[in-house]
Amino acid sequence: MSSQTEIAGNQAPVIETKGFTKRYRGFLALDNIDLSIPSASVGLLGANGAGKTTLIRSLLGIIRPTSGSAKVVGFDTRSQGIKVREQVGYMPEADALPMSTTAADFVGHMAEMSGLPPREARQRAADVLYQVGLGEERYRLIKGFSTGMRQRVKLAQAIVHDPKLVFLDEPTAGMDPQGREEMLELVERIYRRMGISVVFSSHILEDIERVCDYVVILDGGRLLASQPLGDVNETLGQVSIDIDGPHAPFIEALREQGVTVSEMPSEVTGMPQIVVDVHDERIYDVVRDVAVARQVTIRSLRSRSKSLEDIYLGNVNASREVAGVS
Amino acid sequence: MSAERAAVPTVAEMPERYGEVFDRGYKHYDGPRRGRRGAITSLIGYSMKRAMGIRKSWTAKIMPFLLYLSASIPLIIMIGITAIVPDFPFASYSDYFSGIFMLVGLFVAIAAPEMICVDRHERTLPLYFSRAIYRGDYVLAKVVAMSLLTMTMTGLPGVLLWLGRQLTSDNIRQAMVDNIDDLWKILMLGVITSLLLGTLGLMISSFTNRKGVAITIILIGFLVLTGAAQALAITLDEYEWSRWFLLADLNTLVASLSDRLFSDSTTPDEFVQQLDLPLGGLIAYMLGLTVLAWFILRWRYAPRDDV
Repeated sequence: MSSQTEIAGNQAPVIETKGFTKRYRGFLALDNIDLSIPSASVGLLGANGAGKTTLIRSLLGIIRPTSGSAKVVGFDTRSQGIKVREQVGYMPEADALPMSTTAADFVGHMAEMSGLPPREARQRAADVLYQVGLGEERYRLIKGFSTGMRQRVKLAQAIVHDPKLVFLDEPTAGMDPQGREEMLELVERIYRRMGISVVFSSHILEDIERVCDYVVILDGGRLLASQPLGDVNETLGQVSIDIDGPHAPFIEALREQGVTVSEMPSEVTGMPQIVVDVHDERIYDVVRDVAVARQVTIRSLRSRSKSLEDIYLGNVNASREVAGVS
Repeated sequence: MSAERAAVPTVAEMPERYGEVFDRGYKHYDGPRRGRRGAITSLIGYSMKRAMGIRKSWTAKIMPFLLYLSASIPLIIMIGITAIVPDFPFASYSDYFSGIFMLVGLFVAIAAPEMICVDRHERTLPLYFSRAIYRGDYVLAKVVAMSLLTMTMTGLPGVLLWLGRQLTSDNIRQAMVDNIDDLWKILMLGVITSLLLGTLGLMISSFTNRKGVAITIILIGFLVLTGAAQALAITLDEYEWSRWFLLADLNTLVASLSDRLFSDSTTPDEFVQQLDLPLGGLIAYMLGLTVLAWFILRWRYAPRDDV
């Protein structure tokens, strides 16, 4: 992840917006968004109605912004819309597939719609459907596909023309855990193996933490944060400790040594874990010595970092306080 | 790569996975890109194929097949009669076009909703509009596709009839040279009729997402307009201006154009005689209607926040 972030830092931004605003009748969907997003696997995070889909559709030129300007892969979205759309792929959240056609036919047609000659389009369609795991099923009618398979067809049509950037609007929405896991694998592959920049829209923090190395947070049409995910994961000055056996005697022994210690549930497993404040490097020695003295086996000792959830909730709460929303 | 291939059988044993992602390497595309023109061409071809039921289930092919068959039977009969009785007056171009007009109308009523409504109903429009085309290009492609398809029911049989008549003459080459004017007239009739009916059909279809509704509106609208226009023209025939009602009757418009072009009808149509428009006026009016339908269709696909 870090290496990709470094690469991203050396490249021109794939998306730049200035004062980007979209107003529907009496409703501000995007409020003066200024963005500069590098080539990366970008998570577009926000609750339902935050403006994620509006931002994506405006950047694609499907809907017109009310004011402001935007450049996508170096082209102005207003005056060079065709150039933008030649270089960009889009996977919408809603169902958007013709049911009575085969996956190969439709994806091939979408490749042609992006300017590829017919023969190359058919070849690319076969290759990309193979890449998304539908190589064997490509000649089946789409109406016979499961939700997960349809999502894969939507993904295939979004990358069939080998875009520089692909917008994925809630690609895991409505999928079962297995399908969601497989979709996340695919999204990771698109950026890390295929080298296509990704904008991954989701309201699921875990998904974005899993596949993205840059995050853009929207709330109520306002931009709350736009930063590499590495920056988000700043350390909190705490270590979490998993031990075999009961926690209480071990915690008591640490407190006797003057260590500030508490017990809280793990973010990953939900099970209680021991959390120790680390003000001084010597705390590690104290923990080791107490464990030896009490004959406690330490299973893991990890530095705690600020999660995306902390950052998201912190930004949203701060923003709402400023706006006077209780 | 080899390590991942080696891992494949283990993962494939998991029964709940319906597809597996292999890494056989992703190749970037560095070949030619045809841009907007290529996209429009592709959309024209794809729309025509879908409307004809090509690469769809056999049930989707039944109606187009039956309509082509229905248009072919009188054609074959006419060519056959011409071969046996060269001067038989029944086999005129005007009679043929009048005879198949209802079939052409039915064809448009079935094909136009298939081209327009399905994209709306299945919500594929955002996928098209995120491609290398403008919204106007989408409308253009649909109109061209629909007009070309309608040409196969108007211009193509006309050309075959012309060819059949020349091939059954004593001196084929001379007959072709002598009657080349008829060929241009057939093509003109085919193009104008196809543009008008095709664009009108698409325009009506653009107001609904449902094919069945669009088919019903086109057919009923056509029948009601024709019936009302003819009824008013008959009822008020003592007034000279009553003939203008017939401008709403597509059947009379096409028959008039055919009559003005060929002047070979064996059974003069009373409404054609009542309308009595000159060739230039007829063509201008039909093309004007086409342009109006185009603008309405274009307006239906203007940028909106819900598409």
